[in-house]
Amino acid sequence: MIVGAAMGGLRTAESLRRFGFTGGITLVGAESHLPYNRPPLSKDFLAKGKSLADIAFPIRHEELQAEFILADPARSLDIDGSTLGLESGAKHNFDYLVAATGLRPKRFSFPNDLNQGRHVLRTYDDARSLRGAVAPERRVVIFGAGFIGLELAATLRTLGCTINIVAIEEIPLAGILGDTFGREIRRRHEREGVNFHLGLSIEDLIGTTRIEGVVLSDGTELHCDILIEAVGSIPNVDWLTGNGLDLSNGVLTDQTLRVMNELGTSSDRVFAVGDIARFPYVAQSLPARRVEHWNIPIESAKWVGRQICHQDKPGLIPDLQTGERFNPLPSFWSDQFSISILSYGEPKLANESPLVEGEISDEFIMSYRRDGELVGIAGIGMRRELNKLRGEIRL
Amino acid sequence: MIKIQVDMEKCQHYGQCVYEAPNVFKLNESDKLEYTATADDSELANVRAATDVCPMQAITIVD
Ligand SMILES: Cc1cc2nc3c(=O)[nH]c(=O)nc-3n(C[C@H](O)[C@H](O)[C@H](O)COP(=O)(O)OP(=O)(O)OC[C@H]3O[C@@H](n4cnc5c(N)ncnc54)[C@H](O)[C@@H]3O)c2cc1C
Ligand code: SF4
Repeated sequence: MIVGAAMGGLRTAESLRRFGFTGGITLVGAESHLPYNRPPLSKDFLAKGKSLADIAFPIRHEELQAEFILADPARSLDIDGSTLGLESGAKHNFDYLVAATGLRPKRFSFPNDLNQGRHVLRTYDDARSLRGAVAPERRVVIFGAGFIGLELAATLRTLGCTINIVAIEEIPLAGILGDTFGREIRRRHEREGVNFHLGLSIEDLIGTTRIEGVVLSDGTELHCDILIEAVGSIPNVDWLTGNGLDLSNGVLTDQTLRVMNELGTSSDRVFAVGDIARFPYVAQSLPARRVEHWNIPIESAKWVGRQICHQDKPGLIPDLQTGERFNPLPSFWSDQFSISILSYGEPKLANESPLVEGEISDEFIMSYRRDGELVGIAGIGMRRELNKLRGEIRL
Repeated sequence: MIKIQVDMEKCQHYGQCVYEAPNVFKLNESDKLEYTATADDSELANVRAATDVCPMQAITIVD
């Protein structure tokens, strides 16, 4: 059973088949759509009027031999009893289970808690509803200056909307890529006409039936037609409760992506992949972390498929060594206006971040070091040089 | 022999594919993607990996 029918789930099923799994595979999904690619939702899907077919992942059904149960989310799991309960009341038994339920957007509640005109962006349905609301000249407030907030700002600005970004942090992306990088991103957005209200929060909404504006923590009122909340995400782990697992932030796994209980014992049959998996570092003595980057579902799914095949039929994966540890290189890209950021590793761990090449105002590469060791690199442009450095990162 | 196609309208020249299948994909002097349209069967696993990691889902293996 694979719970979560998006990229992480699909790649797990593909990996199982690729490594020789012959048993039945079922994917259970909360959404009513087959797996599709999320990153275009904040970019081309909105900007260029793409359809669901444009962003759907190609699936080789004959090879995959998997059953998809869609629009029926998992509601309960009993690991000892090997049963998964769905919203419809259906119960399924399993030999192995893979948790791939990803994240949902965080939402605020305000004293005047209007709903009309308010948006979040995680799913195709969210994107479609947002696309239906945007038009040139619309006034948009984006709450949050993370990657999704900034990408939306750029896309909607290009479509002719007026953009005000409100964020608690003083410098956008500073917590992820450092102050220098963040200031430069802000400068480039301002050059395109995006307005920032930083170090501030939204205290309340203005309007009677639909949103007409927001009140900031310093009393400023911003008029708007649309409010988009892009203030981070919450892992979808509710359905995993009752099994003694550590669900404090996603689901904690061991070095092989087997989920762990609060006593530190690994399950032998339940795994986690993608955005919800909180897995340990190999080279850094830091607490386990989740990574919300697109390549993590791919890498973790590949890994888990191989682990399950090995466990199911000893000898099927002759090159699998005991003691192997999951150690992916996180990689991230983000397109905003003509800015295209590419990053490898985890720059946020760094305590120094020197410029390696180029000019901040143009194309450049920054390296991120923690106590001297390379933990990340990031840049705008200069792809070849950036790609050369990625092999030196240690996490 | 496998046949490879990259939709250059979609490709943003991230170079993720280069890392997975260096014999097939490379970034040229001006950071643009270049690739060989055919490759030996022994490259299939690498090209499939490249297809998976391409952020723009621009690569297809033509059957
Ligand atoms: C708008 C947007 C833009 C992005 N852009 C980039 C980018 O430019 N670069 C980058 O590196 N990353 C980007 N990301 C991040 C990337 O898309 C994620 O890392 C990736 O989608 C995670 O995949 P996943 O399969 O782990 O989780 P998800 O894609 O979140 O999939 C989880 C699935 O599980 C389903 N589900 C939840 N609960 C249940 C349940 N109880 N039962 C059954 N199913 C359930 C959900 O509905 C969902 O379909 C972006 C994300 C978004 C939302
Ligand atoms: S990974 Fe995809 S987008 Fe990147 S260079 Fe290769 S084909 Fe182009």
